[in-house]
Amino acid sequence: MTGDVGVLASGGCHIFSGCGFPAPGLQDFEWKPLFSIGSFDFTKPMLLAILAALVVIVFFWVAFRSPKLVPRGMQNLGELAILAVRDQILRPSLGRKGDSYLPFLVSLFFFIYIMNVMELIPLLQFPVTSRIGFVWPLVFIVYFLYLYLGVKNQGAWGYLRNMIPPGVPAPIYIILVPVELLRFFVFQPFTLGVRLFGNMFAGHLLLTIFTIATWYLLSLSVGLVYAAGSFALAIFVFLLETLVTLLQAFIFTTLTATYIASSVEPAH
Amino acid sequence: MSSGNDASTQAQKRAAAQGRAQGLDIGWTVFSYLLAGMAAYGAIGWLIGRAVHVSLLFPIGMLVGLAISLGFIIYRYGRVGPGGRPPGGEREMTGDR
Repeated sequence: MTGDVGVLASGGCHIFSGCGFPAPGLQDFEWKPLFSIGSFDFTKPMLLAILAALVVIVFFWVAFRSPKLVPRGMQNLGELAILAVRDQILRPSLGRKGDSYLPFLVSLFFFIYIMNVMELIPLLQFPVTSRIGFVWPLVFIVYFLYLYLGVKNQGAWGYLRNMIPPGVPAPIYIILVPVELLRFFVFQPFTLGVRLFGNMFAGHLLLTIFTIATWYLLSLSVGLVYAAGSFALAIFVFLLETLVTLLQAFIFTTLTATYIASSVEPAH
Repeated sequence: MSSGNDASTQAQKRAAAQGRAQGLDIGWTVFSYLLAGMAAYGAIGWLIGRAVHVSLLFPIGMLVGLAISLGFIIYRYGRVGPGGRPPGGEREMTGDR
């Protein structure tokens, strides 16, 4: 955090002390480099993203390094995680035929979830996905796969033709082409990425506002009542965020599964 | 008897999960259509407006785009076909789910 918010909040900046509210803002999403290699700055979100990848890799490696027919210990948890993604995300969109995409969807879901949930872990307390630069590569990977599978299964021309459902009259078809192209290549990937980023960004900002406000309002005056109210809201937002972190990972992965399904099985 | 109930509960859960996935897909596709319609025809209106020096064509284009998007959304998703699904445009859910 490069802004003054952290410094002010950690010091004696309280209400009625002549100190203004150190409102959080965009500066709370900017980080001083932990270290630099030439012109490349390594920041906390990068460290957290690597940590998230390591958590996913190590967890599944430990769970399945020597799988037993009757699962025990970590394998139980690993199987539970995989079955949850298979039954709640993959199968509803792709059916049994889509089981080959399970490793991709499991990795994607847990990588996003761990990056999100870092917002709620003390000391880490920053959702990596609230930096949009970490979201676009995920969108790019999903879209590349989406297009690749579509062209592979339907052919380039067939894929483009299938974007608009059959039975639409020819003049309407022509009218719809610019809308459909823009939806497919611009707005669909845009909404996929911005939804994840926006939710995590807003959640982190809300949590920061109420946490700092609790500290700021804390004083031996009527401010104590306000501080209690702000603390209650901070707890409420925290609980809400436990749900949002999971929900956003679920939505991103579910939409990925439906995109893959529409590439594998064209619209009828 | 209880295995029959279990199978029925499993089937209900599967149907609910399938409905959730389809709902998410349709919801965000509809939202993308609304934006894409306004952007596409707004851009066309802006380009024509720039050529003929009529700046009003930009907002008109956006409204036309919005109308086209709405019309298409109603055509594609607004009717309920057999099985409670829209009759055209969506994937047919085949295979064992």
